[in-house]
Amino acid sequence: MEALDYAAAGETGFSFYTPRGDLSGTLTFGQLRERSLDLAQRLVGAGLKKGDRVAMIAESTPDFFVFFYGCQYAGLVPVPLPFPMHLGGKEAYIAQLSRMMQSARAAAAVSSAELVDYLRQASAGLQTPMVGTHADFYRLPESKTPLPRITEDDICYIQYSSGSTRFPHGIAASHKSVTANCSGILNHGVKARHGDRCVSWLPLYHDMGLVGCCLSPTYAQMSTDFIATPDFARRPLIWLKVLSENKGTISFSPTFGYDICLRRAARARSDEFDLSAWRVAGIGAEMVRADILARFAETFEPSGFNSKAFLASYGLAESTLAVTFSEIDTGIEVDAIVKRDYSLTGRARPGQPANDALEVRPFAFCGKILPNHELAIRDNEGNDLADRLIGRVYVRGPSVMNGYFGDPAATKRVLSKTGWLDTGDMGYTVNGNLVITGRGKDLIIYNGRNIWPQDIEWAVEGLEGLRRGDAAAFSVEDQDGAEEVIVVVQCRATDKDTREQLEREIAAQTRLIAGADCKVVLAQPRSLPMTSSGKLSRTAAKANYLAGHYSPQSTSVALRTASSATISAMARD
Amino acid sequence: MSEVDQKLISEISEMLSGLNKAGIEITADTDFNADLNVDSVAVMDFVLMVEDKYDISIPINLLSEVSTVGQFAQVVAKARVD
Repeated sequence: MEALDYAAAGETGFSFYTPRGDLSGTLTFGQLRERSLDLAQRLVGAGLKKGDRVAMIAESTPDFFVFFYGCQYAGLVPVPLPFPMHLGGKEAYIAQLSRMMQSARAAAAVSSAELVDYLRQASAGLQTPMVGTHADFYRLPESKTPLPRITEDDICYIQYSSGSTRFPHGIAASHKSVTANCSGILNHGVKARHGDRCVSWLPLYHDMGLVGCCLSPTYAQMSTDFIATPDFARRPLIWLKVLSENKGTISFSPTFGYDICLRRAARARSDEFDLSAWRVAGIGAEMVRADILARFAETFEPSGFNSKAFLASYGLAESTLAVTFSEIDTGIEVDAIVKRDYSLTGRARPGQPANDALEVRPFAFCGKILPNHELAIRDNEGNDLADRLIGRVYVRGPSVMNGYFGDPAATKRVLSKTGWLDTGDMGYTVNGNLVITGRGKDLIIYNGRNIWPQDIEWAVEGLEGLRRGDAAAFSVEDQDGAEEVIVVVQCRATDKDTREQLEREIAAQTRLIAGADCKVVLAQPRSLPMTSSGKLSRTAAKANYLAGHYSPQSTSVALRTASSATISAMARD
Repeated sequence: MSEVDQKLISEISEMLSGLNKAGIEITADTDFNADLNVDSVAVMDFVLMVEDKYDISIPINLLSEVSTVGQFAQVVAKARVD
């Protein structure tokens, strides 16, 4: 809020683009402040109380920003919600909205006129008295009610990118943590300078889109261009078009965004883009994949792209957004480590990529921890590990969230009394430079999006002929770090047609519920491994899958209870 | 179903031929997800192809309500009028 007051004094602001990448509108920080203050008065006048949650579909439009900042001035807590992305995904989408609004106990909900019917359906049966379009809220009567005072410990927003869609966990970010993280991003990360311009196609309900490309630029009076995420999904090259035309200097994306541009590059003319001003091409939200980035750099070098612009980072919404950044102007640096060593002993021993006899795997360095924050790598017993030993990654510092909204039990699972956050990721350090090797938690990251395997399993188990406990979803990585979603399903049917039909239905269901393409593997009944407490062990199921126990040719029987050796090997992998 | 719709459906079916790996007969009732089993990137390519051919923009919220070729044709027809 104070950041916007500051930004409003300058000439800069936000610009918006059409699906084909042409300018459709602008909102200077001054206009944003004025409209947000006006809205804040109306919201307070309508009876919304300090701390009340306001759910808002995070469309990349001026209205979203007016509502986000309007809530800040009014002492309300914005809850950005996703928009529908998938063909035929309407029902699943409305159910998802409904669960998030219920979890946040939203007092109001707002969207554009196009999406308000979804919001209305989602709020049916909930205690959300005010649901409407942006225009409906702008028409609320003016008021002179004084705006409440905000302290740095108050919640700034709640973000839903954690937890399954059935049991969403809202991350409550305080003003203090947002300020600390934005300062780290601008000063330690991108090293913001006068004249920088940010370009973003990232969704604003995700931390990299919201904190990285909306809140941080406000703190620096940095002009930012917004491309709507669904428009990027259809025409990814408009990202490069806007960067070219506006001489954009800073833009972030998961590896996936660079990859999709690469796949469309054949359709572009060689002189179509000028990427020479792009000095920070950030990568985050999923594993940094050096091979794809190298091809991107090679393909767009004739357009002026400099591979030294790549900036690897690591972060998670539970720590607002950013945790580590590599150095600017250095590009991607990789550590090639010996595969056999790290899977057997958990030691990241550097190998010689040139020597084929040693099987090495390259991992990208994600850089050093933000100032005033601490990083630790620990073993399963909680002991700190030395350099080059792989363990679980922990973070402490002012960016770490207060907790999951209204869910102390879930908070306790990841946040210690002494303030250490268990990221659930596995990695190691070399002189403080972090390398992420994988995840210690059952989470699938697909094109930069977090997907909870439970969501896929529940949806698949609802298909005719399947029961609770019949499905296991997980992802496997290839040599280069690309993730493939695997769904193993216990199948009782034996005839070919029924099995093929089931495979198609499982793939279709996975796409509807998670928007992800997957490989379906039909397994024998009772072949999915269980933990001692009778819960599905995805780690062991994955180990069985990788060992080939579920392949149709396999005559071996999948291990119902994976040996502890398999499990510990998997945990390190 | 009107004549215009039938023409549109056959045009759309033709554009879908690249995605129709199983070679099934495409009708208004063909379900993109369950029958054609097309992946998400291919769907986006297909939508893009249709948008470029008719010079239209299909709103995302409408796509989330589309399951079949017939429903898709209706969305396209509406976008062409708008």
